[in-house]
This record gives sequence, C-alpha cells and structure tokens, in this order.
Amino acid sequence: MKVEKINFDKKNDKISFLLKGVNESFVNVIRRIITEEVPTLAIEDVEIKENSSGLYDEMLALRLGLVPIKTDLKSYTFKEGCKCEGAGCARCELKMAMKVSKKGYVYADSAVSKDPKCKFVYNMPITKILPKQKVELQMTAILGRGKDHAKWSPGWGFYKKEPVITIGNVKDAEKVANVCPKGIFNAKGGKLALNKDKVYDCHLCNACVDLDDVKLEDTDNYIFTLESWGQLSCKDVLTTSMSILLEKLDQLGANLK
Amino acid sequence: MLIPIRCFTCGKPIAHMWEDYKEQVSKGEDVGKVMNKLGLDRYCCRGVFLGTVELIDLAGEFKRF
Repeated sequence: MKVEKINFDKKNDKISFLLKGVNESFVNVIRRIITEEVPTLAIEDVEIKENSSGLYDEMLALRLGLVPIKTDLKSYTFKEGCKCEGAGCARCELKMAMKVSKKGYVYADSAVSKDPKCKFVYNMPITKILPKQKVELQMTAILGRGKDHAKWSPGWGFYKKEPVITIGNVKDAEKVANVCPKGIFNAKGGKLALNKDKVYDCHLCNACVDLDDVKLEDTDNYIFTLESWGQLSCKDVLTTSMSILLEKLDQLGANLK
Repeated sequence: MLIPIRCFTCGKPIAHMWEDYKEQVSKGEDVGKVMNKLGLDRYCCRGVFLGTVELIDLAGEFKRF
C-alpha cells in the first residue's frame, strides 16, 4: 500500500490523499471508523436554570449539543470504564456554564469551560434574546462515538476512484472545456489540454465523454478526502482511527487463539 | 427560525458563518461568490443558507415574561 498526499487545506481543515494498492472495502473501513468510532467531546446534559429566549429548552439543548468542542483525547476517557464508576469526575466529564442577559445573539464563546484547553471551537449564535430576556444554564460534555449520535463525529470522509483522462481526436475543444463543471480542460487555439493541477477534482461525471472523443477511465487507486469538523485535527483523526482499527484486529486475533 | 448549527445533510458546522454571510449579502455581493469564499462547496450546506429566514425576533416576542 502506498499513500501520496494530494492537498492539505489548512484553513478549512481538509486533507486529501491518494491510496494505491488497496481495494474499496479497505478504504470504506477507514471512512466508517472515522465517522463512527473516533471519540470526541460533545454536550450531553444541559441543566437550564432560565431560558426566556424564543427557542424552547429542548431546541436550545439540541443546538448546544451540536457545537463542536476542541477535544483533548489524552486527558479524557469514556464514562463507562472510568475510575469513578459512572459517578462523573474531571477525567470523564467536562463542565461548562453560560449566563447571558445582554440582548442580541447568545454566542457559544460566552460559555465558560472548566478546562481552558477544551472550549467551543466556533463562535456560533446559539439563540437570540430580546431585552429583559435571559439565558442561564450549565452543561456537561462527555466523550462519545459517532455511531451513537452524529454530534460525536469528528469529521467526514469520502473517496472516489482516481480518474485517468486521455484526449483523443477532439472536434470542438472549446465546447468540451466549457462543459466540464470542474474546469479540468484548457482550450488553446482549438487544441484541448489537461489542466494538470485540477485532474483530481474530476468527479467522473462523463460530460466530456458524452460530447466528444475523450476517454475517462478509473484506476484501482482511491482519492480519500477527510474534512475535520474542528474537534480534532485531520492528523489526529487519522492516527486515532488507525489505532482503533489495530485495537479491533488485536482483539479479534486474541479471541481466535 | 435561526441558522442551524450544522448542515442537515453532511453535518458541517455552519452557524458561525451566518453573520458574515448576512452582512456581505446585504452589501449587494453575489450570494454564490460569498458562499464560495466562506468555504461552502457542497450544495447541501449552500441550501441551508439560502433557505434560512430569521424569525427568532418575532418568536421571542411571544415568550416575553
């Protein structure tokens, strides 16, 4: 198996790489482990002292649960299997509080976290309050897995086959270059050329093939794209997913003995 | 009511871009270009922005006590 990095978009926390010499089921295992098994922190319990905003309590709690929290996997463990035996301690729970009475949007950044390392990642508007309205609540975040609720999912991975485009005897270069939604072709002086940097953007729509003499084939290599939602960095998501996969295989091997 | 925290379909966190989006669109910029700039490249997330109507101020009036 070979891995080649294609692109790393630091601003949007997005990475794509080429996987060579693997089959589709293996790539799918990576994808499923990332979305379902990699643990992150998310708000699970909300204790509402006062909420006179336009949103119902349930709605407010749901919105808070979906806001990503920067996760430090080294200092938190799952509630089941924690030393406190489910009572709740600083190792398995993160407490946060929020008290806002200023009119306008209630932002996620107004929440005060007990752990300065683990805060809400984005400054999102949670609700909006009018004069004299108030929001006061306490929150508990726990570690969870994406298969239990999507709020614990660390990101989103998807893959496609690597495209190989060969240009044959093209009649109308201009037309082919315009039909491609991703702008993969360049038409200069009636001749069609490939835009080398953009070939990996191709989503195999076959619009160029239907129109003219262009061949579009896919190989057995896969382009895997991972977008992180902000709780963990792309690198952390990938390394944790791999260690989870290894752990699962170890367990399988141990049980077979 | 209010901009959803995450995109309904793909789960991307989007709510933090809402005010930036609203400001730029109200200045008369092209909606599609604003969304490209914000990094919304899937049509599921773009649809959430296009379909959001802020009614929270109106709903808040009925809950004042």
